[in-house]
Amino acid sequence: MKKKQPTQDLRIPSISRGKKIRVFVNGREVVAYEGETVLAVLTAAGRRTLRKSLHHGEGRGAFCGMGVCYECLVSINGRPNQRACMTQVKDLMEIHVDDPKEM
Amino acid sequence: MSELLPRTADVIVLGGGVIGSSVAYHLSGKKVRVVLLEKGDPVSGTSSACDGLIFLQSKKPGPHLQLAMASRARFDDLPEELDSNIELRREGGMITVATESELHAMEHFVEEQRKHGLEVSLVDGHRAREMESCLSREIMASTFCPLDAQVNPIYLTLAFLKSAKRQGARAFAHTPVTGIARKGGGVFAVQTPRGAIETKRVVNAAGVFAPEIGKMVGLTIPIIPRRGQLLVTEALPPLLTRCLLSAGYIAAKYDPGLAGKESQGVSIEQTGNGNFLLGSTREFVGFDRRTTPDAVKHIVFETTRIIPRLLDAHLIRTFAGLRPYTTDGLPILGRVGGLDGFFMAAGHEGDGIALSPITGKLIAELIADGKPGVPLEPFALERFSLS
Amino acid sequence: MTRKKCDAAIVGSGFSGLVAANILADRGLRVVLLDENLHVGGQLLRSLPWGGVLSRPDRFRRFGFDLIGRVGKQPIEVLERTKVLDIVEERHLVIEKDESEIAVVEPRMLLLATGARERFLPFKGWTLPGVISTGAAQILMKSSGVLPSKKMLIAGMGPLLLSVAGEFLRHGGRLLSILDMGRAPDKALMLTQAFHQRSKVAEGILDLARIFLARVPLHLGTAVVEARGGAELGAVVAARIGKDGGVRGGTERIYRTGSLAVGYGFTPNIELAQLAGCTVDHDKARGGWVVRVGDDLETGVDRVFAAGEITGIAGALKSVCEGELAAFGMLRKLGREVDSRRMARLNRERVHHLRFGKYFNALHRIPSRAILSIPDDVTICRCEDVRMGELKSAVTEGHGTPAALKRALRIGMGNCQGRTCGPIVCDILPALTKKPQEVVPILSVRSPVKPVAMRSFLR
Repeated sequence: MKKKQPTQDLRIPSISRGKKIRVFVNGREVVAYEGETVLAVLTAAGRRTLRKSLHHGEGRGAFCGMGVCYECLVSINGRPNQRACMTQVKDLMEIHVDDPKEM
Repeated sequence: MSELLPRTADVIVLGGGVIGSSVAYHLSGKKVRVVLLEKGDPVSGTSSACDGLIFLQSKKPGPHLQLAMASRARFDDLPEELDSNIELRREGGMITVATESELHAMEHFVEEQRKHGLEVSLVDGHRAREMESCLSREIMASTFCPLDAQVNPIYLTLAFLKSAKRQGARAFAHTPVTGIARKGGGVFAVQTPRGAIETKRVVNAAGVFAPEIGKMVGLTIPIIPRRGQLLVTEALPPLLTRCLLSAGYIAAKYDPGLAGKESQGVSIEQTGNGNFLLGSTREFVGFDRRTTPDAVKHIVFETTRIIPRLLDAHLIRTFAGLRPYTTDGLPILGRVGGLDGFFMAAGHEGDGIALSPITGKLIAELIADGKPGVPLEPFALERFSLS
Repeated sequence: MTRKKCDAAIVGSGFSGLVAANILADRGLRVVLLDENLHVGGQLLRSLPWGGVLSRPDRFRRFGFDLIGRVGKQPIEVLERTKVLDIVEERHLVIEKDESEIAVVEPRMLLLATGARERFLPFKGWTLPGVISTGAAQILMKSSGVLPSKKMLIAGMGPLLLSVAGEFLRHGGRLLSILDMGRAPDKALMLTQAFHQRSKVAEGILDLARIFLARVPLHLGTAVVEARGGAELGAVVAARIGKDGGVRGGTERIYRTGSLAVGYGFTPNIELAQLAGCTVDHDKARGGWVVRVGDDLETGVDRVFAAGEITGIAGALKSVCEGELAAFGMLRKLGREVDSRRMARLNRERVHHLRFGKYFNALHRIPSRAILSIPDDVTICRCEDVRMGELKSAVTEGHGTPAALKRALRIGMGNCQGRTCGPIVCDILPALTKKPQEVVPILSVRSPVKPVAMRSFLR
């Protein structure tokens, strides 16, 4: 039973963010601000599953958050295996993640 | 697990790499009491630092190719025999051609090999890309040999070892040989820090360290280490089915004069795990197992020219293996004249993995049955007229 | 390939790197400061991309941000988003800039200040999406102003669980509970260090106050037994553990949550130091495998210095002290005059920091029973999907070292290059083989020290 998180919910309200930009996850537009990491945008958009594990095809998402574990790999503008936690979003960025429903 | 070394053995195999393990496996299968001695961690030497290509196409027509073909046939039975997943993939191999001069060279090479009974053909670039869609448009032609294959070298070696032990062989890691003394009655006393073992038969399967063993019995063994650097990418979705060499690789292997510019040629395979294994270099640098930025750059450059999609990949590891090189490119196998009971099984250079099954089989036949299935004279140590 | 000469290259821009960079630049040296991250500051000095920081920084952090400001004003070449791939010809750094090009930095002196990363204790379900590290939670909040979730559970070991809890509560998160494997007596011992770390204590008290006011239960001697869910985390099972780390049956409790943040302490990032040929030792008091250094923080390799968490996990105060010490050591090696009395004082100060570190690291010691009771179906190597049962079988078959396990099972052959599973295997092997940790040989390191884009070589 998955409740889709309202996208604005997780952003800490007291912070004044920079420019709002257009970012797409699996083809659908999500809220994003210039300067946020891809992982932050995905987290705020309610995405916990990012990819499938190598051999058992189980869902994986971000884990260490600091570029060490290589779990948060997503495709960015066609380039596969980019660390979401170490990449900042840019306008018109296209992000692709695996769908948990397919696991 | 520090077992005591046995006092005696029917055969002592020196070296626990793919060759030694295969010899131990085949010998123990003939009910011979085998003790295998490995100086380091299990599978920590050359056999853990190579690619897994079983390329018949790259073998010199003649005894070398014959040996390779016999070995390739053995591979078909191995997964079941060893009851192990050795990641054997039998989709064939291709040698890619990117220039006119390479094309001419490969046309001749293919013709020679067909004369010697190898099923290999030359296809044009269009057909090559139909077979492997990731190949670049720069590829103007390619050979194809359906018998070429690939395997996981570490799993293969571990499988030989495991099955050898199952058949009664005893294997000891972290047990270097410090000396070999000759006693009366044709007995060798093999000395190690954990004690001595006596035997009438010793197999020198120590690869690049075979000359060191040779010295212990007064033999000069002309094997020198030749470094091959390899790169590993992250695991990727299936992109490449067959294993590849570039034409320059063949040229550089047999006649550096034929090689174009500084192109040493490259090897490309996608392993069972999904990683791409990209090689290689051929350098005489003693026992230096480091990888170098220049070689890495070169291999990346050459391999991404053949498979442009690799540009999106990441390199996660590099390593280098020391291949036991002989001047004529043939291994040293069989009896040693004047030293009864001492056998050679070393010097396979970059063909160790591919030739391991047949080497093990032939040495076992030689020792246990007195006669190998294939004559070993072309591979004798004596051909170097040194010792 | 671009080649850049300089007097000093500093890898890592946390406290020790920043302190050293400023001192060396003040003395007129050409300094190159490198960091793999998007911005300098290391793990502790994270600011929001739009200016400012998430929570009002304490005095110590203000000092840190000040350092960053000063670096910006000096003629220091700062290379962010830059990985060091290899060290060749003594001290030359082969680097990848911004995942797009390879270059070489040729310093006369090299300072490794690569800091630490978190270490973990695997449990059933720890790979489920929704289970993150406490560091990941902190970074989401501090670097992007995003909560990891609306409702979270925090578990693991050590005092830093409180700080992530405090931060989360402060910004509107709902915290179900804090579960710490540690036990009250160990915590009490930590109080002996209170004077040394007074600013931290003040911070800790504020966090505790927040936790108390929010009525968040804080359980000691409690560990996660299982993270449950279908494709993603849905619930966490926790239980009380005994002094030896064994689970006390009948004490299980279920928490319904889609978000669990776990933290068990730290392990130094010594990989680059290993590649450089520096001697590393296993030292429990210093938190594991650390780089061996002399009094001037030079390592066993000529003109290569090390400072900060990689010489011993002991917190930011030690990093600041060592940043200064290393800078002096480097200056002296270059024949420049240094204040030797100040150096002596710094060395004395360092001893105090290391003592604090000893107590701090004791708070993160995972009992071997907890390690041995990891079920067989738990993933140990996340990259290559290798489970505990496979590891145990391989050890029984004689693959008793990290290197042997790597060859037999591919543990450590994935993208993280053994950084996540390596410390775990180093905990498991001594427990399984009953050998002390010091004799379990550490995995050797090869270049590239971090994964590098193939594309980068083409420029």
